[in-house]
Amino acid sequence: MLLVRDGDQAGFGLLLERYRGSVIHFLYRMVQNQAVAEELAQEVFLRVYRFRETYQPTAKFTTWLFRIATHLGLNWIRDRRHEKLQDSLDEESSDGAAIQLADRNKTVEQELLYQAKLREVRQAIEGLPAKQRAAVLMHKYEEMEYAEIAKALSCSESAVKSLLFRAYESLRGRLAHMA
Amino acid sequence: MECPSRTGQAGELIVAYIARTLDVETAADFGKHLLACAACRELTAGQEAVWSALEEWLPLAVSPGFDERLLRRITAEEHAQQGWWRRIAWPAWSWRPALPVAAACAVLVTAFLLKNFERAAAPATPVQPGASIEQVEHALDDMDMLKQLGVEAAAASPQS
Repeated sequence: MLLVRDGDQAGFGLLLERYRGSVIHFLYRMVQNQAVAEELAQEVFLRVYRFRETYQPTAKFTTWLFRIATHLGLNWIRDRRHEKLQDSLDEESSDGAAIQLADRNKTVEQELLYQAKLREVRQAIEGLPAKQRAAVLMHKYEEMEYAEIAKALSCSESAVKSLLFRAYESLRGRLAHMA
Repeated sequence: MECPSRTGQAGELIVAYIARTLDVETAADFGKHLLACAACRELTAGQEAVWSALEEWLPLAVSPGFDERLLRRITAEEHAQQGWWRRIAWPAWSWRPALPVAAACAVLVTAFLLKNFERAAAPATPVQPGASIEQVEHALDDMDMLKQLGVEAAAASPQS
């Protein structure tokens, strides 16, 4: 990022190459819509580029990146909340929730079972309050430490621990039967 | 190791144990504790189930045009910023027609200031001291009286 700040255009390409996937996947799991996730990820990288000259390496670059991504994701969820009431679960495939690619080694029955499990996981994550959802996704999939998650969510480490504890408790209630 | 359920640390400890973020010594201690504590074993099994269920949710393939779209947006934004800067700073656009307008304004302002200066410097209209409405009225009364006297004298003289 320091190279990008100093005007190295190729450095931005490297950043994009390295973090594109994790930002999109994080946002996809947050908003559960691939088109929206990619649109928000575009905005994340656009902001990184826009503010490259004022970037101060006071924290890890990933923390800064995920702070922007979390902010955009939470705002989208907040703005979408009232519209969501009108949507039905039947619109799942039409609103961009992509179906994961099937494993060719699985039988049809196994594939159906897998898709049902996946749906349950997605619904369990979607059922979490937005901040808990963001904390779990950063903790589980991005393997971020409490301090980094705290900076990304603009709260204290103890608040993050509390968010994660409540989120995992809630997920255990919904998903423990899948063992 | 004291049972973390009693100290209120169970949630945090179990999550860290499953995520393998505990230090080696604490993880070993907790592992031993699990063999003896059915409550913690049950909680840990539940958390492990959550963990493996979440791992089922694999990342998706990113759309192939993602980078291209982003670079197009960045280029468009940079062009828009350059255009904005040019509109303000490019001298051929802004200053050439502004010069005659500024000169005309300067002439008008100078003329206005000069006019005001002359008006301020000119002496005030002389006013006769002591002249008042009462004096004028007295003078008019006197003239009327003289006229009447003149008429009466003229009427009396042919008879005499």
